[in-house]
Amino acid sequence: MPDVENHDELRQVTEILQRHSLEPGNLIPILQEVQEELQYLPREGMRLVGRSLGIPEVDVYSVATFYNQFRLNPPGRNQIKVCLGTACHMMGGYIILDCFERRLNVHEGETTPDREFSLERVACVGCCTLAPVTVVNEKTEGKVTPTRVDGILAGLGFKKDQAAGKVEAEV
Amino acid sequence: MAAKVKITIDGREIEASPGDRLLWAALDSGIYIPHLCGIREENHPPASCRLCFVEIAGMPNPVTSCTQPVTAGMVVYTRSSQVDRLVRRGFQLLLSAYHLRCGECPKNHTCEIRRIAKERGLKLRVKDLRPLDRDLPVDASAGDFVYDPNRCVLCGQCAWACRHRAGVGILGFVRRGMERRIATFGEAPILASGCTRCGECVKACPAGGLTFQKEASG
Amino acid sequence: MKTAATLEVAPDQIYRDLQHAARQRLTGEKEEPLVMVGTATCGRAAGALDTLAAFKEEIVRRHLSVRVREVGCLGDCYLEPMVIIQKPGYPPFIYGEVDEGKARRLVADFLVNDDPCLEFAMAALEPNDIFPTLADYPRGFYEQRVITELCGIIDPTEIDQYLDHEGYAALARALSMDPGEVVAQVKESKLRGRGGAGFPTGLKWETCRKAPGTPKYVICNADEGDPGAFMDRALLESNPHQVLEGLLIAAYAVGASQGYIYVRAEYPLAVERLKTALDQARQRGLLGENILGSGFSLDLAVFQGSGAFVCGEETALIASLEGRPGIPSHRPPFPAVSGLYGQPTVINNVKTLSYVPHILRQGPDWFRGIGTTDSPGTAVFALAGKVANTGMVEVPMGTTLRRLVFDVGGGIKDGKEFKAVLIGGPSGGCLPETALDLAIDFDSLQQAGAMMGSGGLVVLDADDCMVEIARFFLEFTQKESCGKCTFCRLGTKQMLEILTDITKGRGKPEDLTLLWELAGDVKAGSLCGLGKTAPNPVLSTLRHFRHEYEVHIDEGRCPARMCQDLITYYIVPQKCTKLCNVCVGSCPAEAVYTRPDGIKAINQELCIKCNNCLVTCPPEHQAVVKISPPSPAEGA
Ligand SMILES: Cc1cc2nc3c(=O)[nH]c(=O)nc-3n(C[C@H](O)[C@H](O)[C@H](O)COP(=O)(O)O)c2cc1C
Ligand code: SF4
Ligand code: SF4
Ligand code: FES
Ligand code: FES
Repeated sequence: MPDVENHDELRQVTEILQRHSLEPGNLIPILQEVQEELQYLPREGMRLVGRSLGIPEVDVYSVATFYNQFRLNPPGRNQIKVCLGTACHMMGGYIILDCFERRLNVHEGETTPDREFSLERVACVGCCTLAPVTVVNEKTEGKVTPTRVDGILAGLGFKKDQAAGKVEAEV
Repeated sequence: MAAKVKITIDGREIEASPGDRLLWAALDSGIYIPHLCGIREENHPPASCRLCFVEIAGMPNPVTSCTQPVTAGMVVYTRSSQVDRLVRRGFQLLLSAYHLRCGECPKNHTCEIRRIAKERGLKLRVKDLRPLDRDLPVDASAGDFVYDPNRCVLCGQCAWACRHRAGVGILGFVRRGMERRIATFGEAPILASGCTRCGECVKACPAGGLTFQKEASG
Repeated sequence: MKTAATLEVAPDQIYRDLQHAARQRLTGEKEEPLVMVGTATCGRAAGALDTLAAFKEEIVRRHLSVRVREVGCLGDCYLEPMVIIQKPGYPPFIYGEVDEGKARRLVADFLVNDDPCLEFAMAALEPNDIFPTLADYPRGFYEQRVITELCGIIDPTEIDQYLDHEGYAALARALSMDPGEVVAQVKESKLRGRGGAGFPTGLKWETCRKAPGTPKYVICNADEGDPGAFMDRALLESNPHQVLEGLLIAAYAVGASQGYIYVRAEYPLAVERLKTALDQARQRGLLGENILGSGFSLDLAVFQGSGAFVCGEETALIASLEGRPGIPSHRPPFPAVSGLYGQPTVINNVKTLSYVPHILRQGPDWFRGIGTTDSPGTAVFALAGKVANTGMVEVPMGTTLRRLVFDVGGGIKDGKEFKAVLIGGPSGGCLPETALDLAIDFDSLQQAGAMMGSGGLVVLDADDCMVEIARFFLEFTQKESCGKCTFCRLGTKQMLEILTDITKGRGKPEDLTLLWELAGDVKAGSLCGLGKTAPNPVLSTLRHFRHEYEVHIDEGRCPARMCQDLITYYIVPQKCTKLCNVCVGSCPAEAVYTRPDGIKAINQELCIKCNNCLVTCPPEHQAVVKISPPSPAEGA
C-alpha cells in the first residue's frame, strides 16, 4: 500500500471525523465514508481514525481487513463485479468471471496495471432471477453471456490488445 | 467471595468457586484438559481453539470447559468417545496447518502442542488430512525474539498479553478465514510498530509462533 | 414534535387523524390514471429505469394528466420489468416484460385511447368481467400473501400509502396496551423467527423484557447473507414501513429506547428507501420522542454492513455494530440478556418483524389459523434456479414441495426433469424427488436434514451436479468463515480440498469416508451457527446422491456434465450443417474452426469451456455436445 502521506487525503479524513461523534462504535461508518470519498482506505487515514477514536491502530486494520468491502488500494477507474451467488453460479456466473479474467488478464480481486479496471466477485446482489448478473460501475445487468463480456468491456473503452503485464494484488 | 462448592471430575471430587470456569478449576486441581486459547483473567473467553471439550452429565453434547461456569454438584468427564474424537480432530486440523519442526524449535520442551499430544496419546504427524501450511514470511525484527506465523495456532494469547499485560497493544488478529493471522497495523515488522521488546507476547505463546532467540542458541 | 394539547389524546385518536390526513391527500390521486413501475433492484436489473423514463417522456410529450409512481417488487421476477396501470373505468392491469417499446405503446393505446393491450397483460389486480386475476392462476391461487401483500402495489417512498392501508394502526393499538400484553399476544401467536432457526419470537421478547438493565436495544437483522435469497431485500425495497412498524412494536414491548436496522452492504436501494421511510415516520410523529403521544420514545438508525456473511449471526452482528470485526462469540449469554454493549437486546429478522403488525391487528388466533400447528403463518421463499416462474412467493407453512415447485413455480424450466431442491442456502440441504410430498415447515425440514434458513429455494434439474453444488456452498462458507475457531477455519478448508479434488477427477475412494467424518466433526466442534451448519449441503448430498460422488471418483465422469474438468465440448460431424458459422464466431478463444470438409470442429487445446458454441448452435442442429469423461482427442 502507498506509504506516502497525502495531505489532501488526510484533510478529507479529518473532515469526515468532524461529522461524527468520536466513539469506537462509529468506526465502521467512518471507514465507510472515507472509502466512499477516497475510494480506498489510505494507511495514514486509518491511523488518524484510530488515534481520533482512541483505539489501537491495529484494531482499525483488523476491521479494514475483515470486511469484504474495504479496500487498502485505490481501485481501478471501472469497477466490475461478477455475481457468484447460488443462482448466478448455477447459470454459469463462473464462466463470466473466467471471461473477464482472461480478457483483462487479472484475477478476481485485482486491478489492471493501468488502473483502468478492477475485477471483483460478489455473492448475490439480490437479482437471482436474472442470473448470471454483473454490476459494472454500480449498474446491475442481468442475463450476461460470454459474448456480452466483450461488449461490456468495449463499452468501457477496453481494447483487446490492452491486457498484459503484471498486476497488483488487492488485500 | 462465595463459598466453595463440590464438583466431580472423572470420579474425583474437587472444590471450586461457583461461577469459576471449569477449565481453570480442573487445571488447579491437577486435572489436565487440553487448551490453547483460554485466558484465566478474561471474562469473555474466545473459545476458539476448540480443544477443551468435556462432557457434563445432563448435557447432550460436549461443551468447551473454558466457557462453562462451575455449578454445585456438577459431574464432569474429561474423556469420552465424543470428546476424544473432537479433540483428536481439532488437534489434527491445527497441525495440518502448522509448520512442524520440533527439532529446530526453541519451544521444543515447553510447547503446549507437544504436551497435548503426550497427554492424549495423539500423533504429531497428520496422515489423513491435506497439508495446509503455507510459507509466510518470518518476522525477526525485534531482535530478541522471532515471530513465525507458520507456527502460530491463532490462540490470541500474544495479542492479549501485549494489550493487557504489557499495556502496548500493537498485536491483533487481522484478515479473515484462512487468511486470519496475528499481525501489527499494516502487517509491518513488529519492531517498527511500537514494540517495547518486553517479551510478554513470547512468554504467553503456547506454541512455536513466538520464540526467544536465546532459547534458539541455548 | 407533539404539543401539550395532543398529549392528552389517546394514540389511537392521533393515529386516526394521521390516517385521515393521508387519505385526504390521496383522494385526488385516485381519480387520475396511474402507472406504477416496479423499480426494485430486480426490476432495475431488467431495465425498469428505462421503462420508467419512457413512460414519463411519452406522458409529458403527449401532455397527459397521468401519474407515474415507482413501486417495489410484486414477486414475479421472471416477468420484470413489471408495470401496473390503473385507469378509471378499468380494473388495474399488470403487465410483464415491459420494455421501452411496450411502454410507449401502452401510453398510446391504453392511456390515450381505450385499448388496454390485453395481449401483454398478465392479470388484473381486482376481480372483473374482462380478464383473469392473479388468483385465477395456480401461483396466485396457492399463494397466501400476508407480509408481501402490499409489495409492488404501494409506493415505498410514500408513507401516506402505507397509512391508507391501515399502516401503523397496529402500533397505535400496541401503544394503548400494556407492553407485557403485547409480548403475550406475540407469544400466543406462536410466531417463530424467520431468520433461520425458528426460535419463538414471543419467548425472546419476554426474556429481554424481563432482563435487568437499561438501555435496551432492538435490532432488525437485514443482513440477508444467503447468496440465493432476496426476500428481505424485496420487503425493504417494497414496503419498508411494515418492518419499521414491527420494530417499533418490538421496542415498545421489551422496553427498548434505541434500535438499529443492520442492512447488508450490497443493498444500496434498500438503505435509501429505509432512510426515506425513517424520515417520514419521524415527521409524522411515529418515531422519535413521545410516539403518537404515548410517552414512548424510540430512535432508530440504519447501519450498513460491510460485506461479511457471518455478520448475520447475532453475536457477530453485535460486534460489527460496536465497531469490531464481525467475529461471533460464545453463547450464553444470549443477546436477549446481554447483547449490544452488554445490554439486553432483541434481534429479529426482517420477515419476523413484518408479521408483527399483522398479528396485532388481526389477533393471534388469526395467525395461528394459517400454516401448521407448530409453525404457524406463512413462509416466504425465493424461488430460483431451474424453475419456470422464478421470484418471491408467500405460501402457508405446510405447503408441499411439489405444490411449491410445480404449481406455484410452474414446474421445471424447458420441461426438463426435476432432480432436487436446495433449501436454506449454504446452511441448508438438498431434498430429492422422494421428498416432494413433504409438507414444509421448520421442523419437517430439520428432520429431513435441510433447514428453512433464509428461505432461499433453488430448484435443480438433471444438468446440475450435486457434487459441484456441495463444493460451491462449501467454498462460500469457507470464504466467509471468520476464521476464529479451528473446526470451521480448517475443517471446512479440508472438506473443500476434498470436494475440489473430486470435481476435478482427482478424488480417491477413501475420501468419501473422510469427508463424511469431517462434516460431522465440523458440525459438532464449531463455535457458531456458520460452522455448525456449513457441512449440511455436503451431508445431505452425500446422503441422497452418493452415487454421483462415486461416479466422479471411480469413472472420472460428471453425470450432469457440469464439472468443467471432467467434460469436453465436441461438435458431432453428422449434425453440423457446414453452412452456418455461428459457433466459430461465438467462441471467444478462437477454438472453433472449419475443417477442410466444411464441418466445424473444436481445438481442445484452445477451448476454455465457456459454453458459448453450445448455446449458439441453432436448436434445429444441436451439433455441439458436452462429453464426460473428457476425451483428449477431438471426437470421442
Ligand atoms: C452464519 C449465520 C448467518 C445468519 N444470517 C442471517 C441473516 O442474514 N438474516 C437473519 O435474519 N438471520 C440470520 N442468521 C440468524 C441470526 O443469528 C438470528 O438467529 C436471527 O436474526 C434471529 O431473528 P429471528 O428470531 O427473527 O429469526 C444467521 C445466523 C448464522 C449462524
Ligand atoms: S503467536 Fe503464539 S500466542 Fe500468538 S496467536 Fe500464535 S500461537 Fe498464539
Ligand atoms: S464457526 Fe466459523 S464463523 Fe463461527 S466462530 Fe467459528 S470460525 Fe468463526
Ligand atoms: S445469485 Fe447472483 S444475484 Fe443472487
Ligand atoms: S481453551 Fe477452550 S476453546 Fe480454547
